[in-house]
Amino acid sequence: MMTPSGRLDSTPALLILGSAALAVALVSVSSGAYPLSVADILRVIAGKEAADPVASMVLLEVRMPRFLLGFLVGAVLAVCGAVLQGLFRNPLADPGLIGVSAGASLAAIAVIVLGNTWLGGWLALTGDWALPIAAFTGGSLTVLLAWRIANRSGQTAVATLLLAGIAINAVAGAGTGLLTFYASDEELRSLTFWTMGSLGHAGWDDLVLGAPFMVLALVLAPWLARPLDAFLLGESVVGHLGYRTDTVKKVAIVVVGLGVGAAVAVSGLIGFVGLVVPHLVRQVLGASHRVVLPFSALLGGTLLVAADSLARVVVAPAELPIGLMMALIGGPFFLALLLRTRVM
Amino acid sequence: MRSQLASIVLAVAMVLPGVSAAADTRLVTADGAITEIVYRLGLESMLVGVDTTSGYPEQTAALPKIGYLRALPFEGVLALRPDLLITSEQAAPAKNLDRLRKAGVQVEILPSAWSSEASLKRVESVGELLGRGSEATALVADLQARINNLHAAAEARGYRPKVLFVLAAGNHTVMLAGKNTAAEALLNEVNADIAFTDLEGYKPASREAILASRPDAIVIAESVPGQFNIDNWPELKLLDAWKLGHRLKTDSMLLLGFGPRLVDAMAAVSKALPANPNVATR
Repeated sequence: MMTPSGRLDSTPALLILGSAALAVALVSVSSGAYPLSVADILRVIAGKEAADPVASMVLLEVRMPRFLLGFLVGAVLAVCGAVLQGLFRNPLADPGLIGVSAGASLAAIAVIVLGNTWLGGWLALTGDWALPIAAFTGGSLTVLLAWRIANRSGQTAVATLLLAGIAINAVAGAGTGLLTFYASDEELRSLTFWTMGSLGHAGWDDLVLGAPFMVLALVLAPWLARPLDAFLLGESVVGHLGYRTDTVKKVAIVVVGLGVGAAVAVSGLIGFVGLVVPHLVRQVLGASHRVVLPFSALLGGTLLVAADSLARVVVAPAELPIGLMMALIGGPFFLALLLRTRVM
Repeated sequence: MRSQLASIVLAVAMVLPGVSAAADTRLVTADGAITEIVYRLGLESMLVGVDTTSGYPEQTAALPKIGYLRALPFEGVLALRPDLLITSEQAAPAKNLDRLRKAGVQVEILPSAWSSEASLKRVESVGELLGRGSEATALVADLQARINNLHAAAEARGYRPKVLFVLAAGNHTVMLAGKNTAAEALLNEVNADIAFTDLEGYKPASREAILASRPDAIVIAESVPGQFNIDNWPELKLLDAWKLGHRLKTDSMLLLGFGPRLVDAMAAVSKALPANPNVATR
């Protein structure tokens, strides 16, 4: 089953990861702080009346959307990480690098801190959606800004995009810091929790809001696979191989802007997935983006749902922030993989 | 027949507004002050869970913790199978509160209290929700009498002392209380003012600002006992208020909770206030 280079073929990998995803889906929907009997779960799935009157609500209105949202967010963050790592030819690139997360954070924290004062009108206008819409807009606008800065005479300079991202991150970070300074105690706690991510509020409405953008990003991403492989050989090679370099860059930026913007909007900041999942995939399956992109989606979604399933039971009845859980599980996992490949 | 009757009684009980809770009500509180009220009314046997801001009295440690009141989990709270959740305006996310209501939990949101009046009102509200309205009224009458005495004594002082209010946060930083804080509200209850009127909220301390503040008294609120180490803040020791012993160091939940212990907090702060203004510093 191993290729000569010691790497796994993609078919068995797909089987393994596919069953892992399925297992995680089952665990995620069937477990939680609120105990549900297997009989009740089956009854609800079969569309029958469960013995516990809240069983169908817990399953269909809370756990199902939470699982779907978690999987989608994990998949999108991992794919966007892979896209940026390919585009920048830099293994340290993560979705935050071109300013999406920073811009989204600034907007979200502005809503948390200024919601009762300056931004009262915005809250009145958007209601429950004030924070996600602001975060998405903030994230998209920062990406657009970074791209405008890097765009000289119709050409996008990747190095400038990176530097613009760093500068924007710094400015947005300062804005976030300033808001933190003016925040009250409750607001401080709220924004701290937001920066650690959460799926605790996830419902169908979050999916309706975020899924279109995230699905669009996932649908566009495969188109980038071959050009990104060409990028591995150097930017000048991309054009020689017949790809329109600048279109590739634009699509990549749109994928990351929409995908990460929507993911952050509905779940807060969840680190680790975007940076490390593509590396995990490359370690096992090789560096071709035709493999890295779909498997990153599958692994990212699976890992995030697994982390969320744990996050909501380990300190039950309370819940741990998902970003925290993700790093706790993913960090050692990644280290183990690194040590293993070094031995080989 | 019997179960039919029971369901009719239940249906009637659910329709009646402000129905008082039975002694076997399963109660979850998400707000430190509300939890204190429940204990003060002797109704802690109803509690099946509290949030992480509920750290007083010590017995709360034995109860399941549902997390921070700004990040309430839906399933976690529901798993405790509560009949009633009492929380404050700060509770979030609203979606999870709605879901709890939908799952059959009675969710009561009380306004936060930043005055003795609102604080006593909250005691009454909790009493009524738990079916102990008369006990709560008696407690409120007792607290009101003691608060009135403290108010009268504070008025008789004849001037409004300027108080440096310090919030110890972690081992190495302290925050200074400014306008629109629970600290200011507490000082107003004892006819005193916050030293930093140009500050808004709690801000990290500037050592020079402490020296320049020249307060009549110093109040230090610790979230963990023994957290504040005066040796890290020599500036405070240079202040006349410190040298003259017009100072108080105590638990921040006592001082800022505006729960049933508000009167104790007021008494403690009053004791630290000098009878006459510090002439040398004015």
